[in-house]
Amino acid sequence: MNKKLSLKNTGTFLVFGGPSIFAFTAVVIIPFIVGLYLTFTNWDVRTGDSSLIGFGNYLEVFRDKVFLSQLWFTLKYVFFTVVIANVFAFFIALALTRGGKGEQWLRTGFFTPNLVGGIVLGYLWQTLFSQVLPYLGNKYGWDLFQTSWLTDTGTAFWALIIATAWQLVGYLMIIYIAGFTGVPGDVLEAASIDGAGRYAVIRRIILPLTVPAIVICIFISLSRSFLTYDINLALTKGGPFNSTELATYHIVQKAFLSNQYGVGQAEAVVLFAVVAIIALTQSYLLKKLEVES
Amino acid sequence: MKLRKLASCVMGLTVAMGLLAGCSKGNSGTSAVKGEEGAAQTQPAAKDVKLTFFNTSAEVNTVFEEMFKKYHELNPKVTIELIPTPIGGAQLEKFQSLLASGNPATIVNLDAGTILQYKDDFLNLEPDKAKYEALTNPGAIDGALLDGQFLGIPWTAQGYGLLYNKRAVEEGIGGTFDPASVKTRDDLEAVFKKIEAAGKAPVMVHGADWSLGAHYLGLTYSLQSQKVEDNRKFVEELKNGQVNLTENPQFTGLMDTFDLLKTYNARKSDPLVSDYNRDSADFAKGDAAFYFMGDWSWAVIGPLEGRDEEFGILPLPISNNPEDFGNAQVAYSEPKLFAIDDSKSTPEQQEAAKAFIEWMVTSEDGQKAIITDMGLSMPYKDLKAQSTNIMSNAVSKYVEQGNIINIGVINYLPQDYWAKTGAAMQKYLVGNTDRQGLAQEVQDYWKSYAGK
Repeated sequence: MNKKLSLKNTGTFLVFGGPSIFAFTAVVIIPFIVGLYLTFTNWDVRTGDSSLIGFGNYLEVFRDKVFLSQLWFTLKYVFFTVVIANVFAFFIALALTRGGKGEQWLRTGFFTPNLVGGIVLGYLWQTLFSQVLPYLGNKYGWDLFQTSWLTDTGTAFWALIIATAWQLVGYLMIIYIAGFTGVPGDVLEAASIDGAGRYAVIRRIILPLTVPAIVICIFISLSRSFLTYDINLALTKGGPFNSTELATYHIVQKAFLSNQYGVGQAEAVVLFAVVAIIALTQSYLLKKLEVES
Repeated sequence: MKLRKLASCVMGLTVAMGLLAGCSKGNSGTSAVKGEEGAAQTQPAAKDVKLTFFNTSAEVNTVFEEMFKKYHELNPKVTIELIPTPIGGAQLEKFQSLLASGNPATIVNLDAGTILQYKDDFLNLEPDKAKYEALTNPGAIDGALLDGQFLGIPWTAQGYGLLYNKRAVEEGIGGTFDPASVKTRDDLEAVFKKIEAAGKAPVMVHGADWSLGAHYLGLTYSLQSQKVEDNRKFVEELKNGQVNLTENPQFTGLMDTFDLLKTYNARKSDPLVSDYNRDSADFAKGDAAFYFMGDWSWAVIGPLEGRDEEFGILPLPISNNPEDFGNAQVAYSEPKLFAIDDSKSTPEQQEAAKAFIEWMVTSEDGQKAIITDMGLSMPYKDLKAQSTNIMSNAVSKYVEQGNIINIGVINYLPQDYWAKTGAAMQKYLVGNTDRQGLAQEVQDYWKSYAGK
């Protein structure tokens, strides 16, 4: 009887979980393992030759000063993107859960950038930064916008962050809104009866009760901004003079332009490790702050 | 009851597996087609051939597709399918992934340098060499040889240098402009000064890495000698660290001229904006008198409304001695070649591909498409179509006189040279580094390729 049941359970599981497991294995697990294998070879797509070379590619990664400096650049970029996107998303979500008029429209509006593909979005912002803003800057004498933001190493960095954050905010906002609606109305009511101010309510009630949403949002924004490639390609193409190349962009260039697949793949593995460590640490630490209402 | 449930589960599973199998079959659809073609080969009754065409000249995808249709009308058994690539993006990546997945295109339109890198995968066209030598201009096939082998058929020719807008120059200097009057850097500076004094921008320097790295700085390698072999040797010496660029007359000459262009650059206030369409349009409308670019910009300029009518090209002077090599020559190359896959294609496909390429470059329909619709010039004799590209016609005059810089050395350079050294040039253009720093960065780049 028991045996029959477990057989049935397995069957049911395979029917519903099988296709996903198959797809996941085929497009994630197997490529990942093949990718790991590639890092130990000197595979060359031109000749198809490859032989095992041990940890040579990893040594090359740590000798590649450009990659290390771009990894550092990526960390800075991710830090600012995550902070800016989350702060904006949090407060926009807060403003759009007060029951005001036209909230639904505004939510849709803020979410829309997420539906635009990264490449299109990058070109859109490129036109803004290199054509529209300099035009307005010159017309009205705004110093900040007189030259394109994308041609200066400092401002191009911020342009990249603004464009990415702009795309992320809508998505995070939805999660925050879901988090806020989970805050029980009676607790808020009790707080207002007790005479808590707006700031105190946010600080003492809303923030602690939405920690799960914050954990998810930071996790999503971290992983997405670490893996930004399309916006980088469309907006700055890594320029001016490679100063805004994010790690992913550098990896693609290394593999496909410089034809160093092994090294590029090894760099991708290093990036994966960095992202995994940071993302898991933050969710572990933040989860400790979770409270029950 | 339980049994029935189990049975339905099993059936459901079977259906799911069937669907998955269907999916995986869908993915390998092309290889299935290939199998059928293999079978067709043994049965001459059904000789339908399907060819795929990988195109890196993305801006003319539609013209190629029209040609495929036309050819299919004339030869109903041959079907050609385009594998398009985006303009300026991820072309090589796509080519490599097709190749790596064992599914390469039958015909490719690629940069000569790329064909050289993958030479083992392409059909040797040696048996057709004599035929093409008879069809093309003298030297065209020699220029297309890669390591001495005929692997790709040239179909387009391009030239670059200092383009000029005749009206803008003449308004600037206040008289008729004779391009032959500019033989040296000082001559050029004199013209620039007059144009600036007339309140116009003298020259447009396009700030993209490919223009600065491949076209401008790349001249350093091509100007060393008229022979590609010697230029290759020079690059080898660079890799081995035997060259000090700051002592190389070609490099210093080029950079002195670059300083001049920098000073009189129309985009001086923001040199790296590098919007190709805007730069080309501004030049075509006379906002800048000169433009360091090639005849391919006609694709943007030709159809532009409100543009000027007359344009020409000048060699880029690199010294004050009119006799120096480069001062009277414009850079010229056959940048793209048609090559045929030899790794997976069947002999039948290869034969069909050869016939189709020959039709493209020799038939009236093909030549009209390339010359009139694409606005390109062809290195072929007896052309059956008239080019409307004023700039490539201007380049042709230099070609006829043999006044060209053969930039064939670039076919042998690593694929990232323009991106990497172009970035160094961008730094120099905005004053982020000096001549010494630029030379160092370029030398360091080449040294990273030592022994490769």
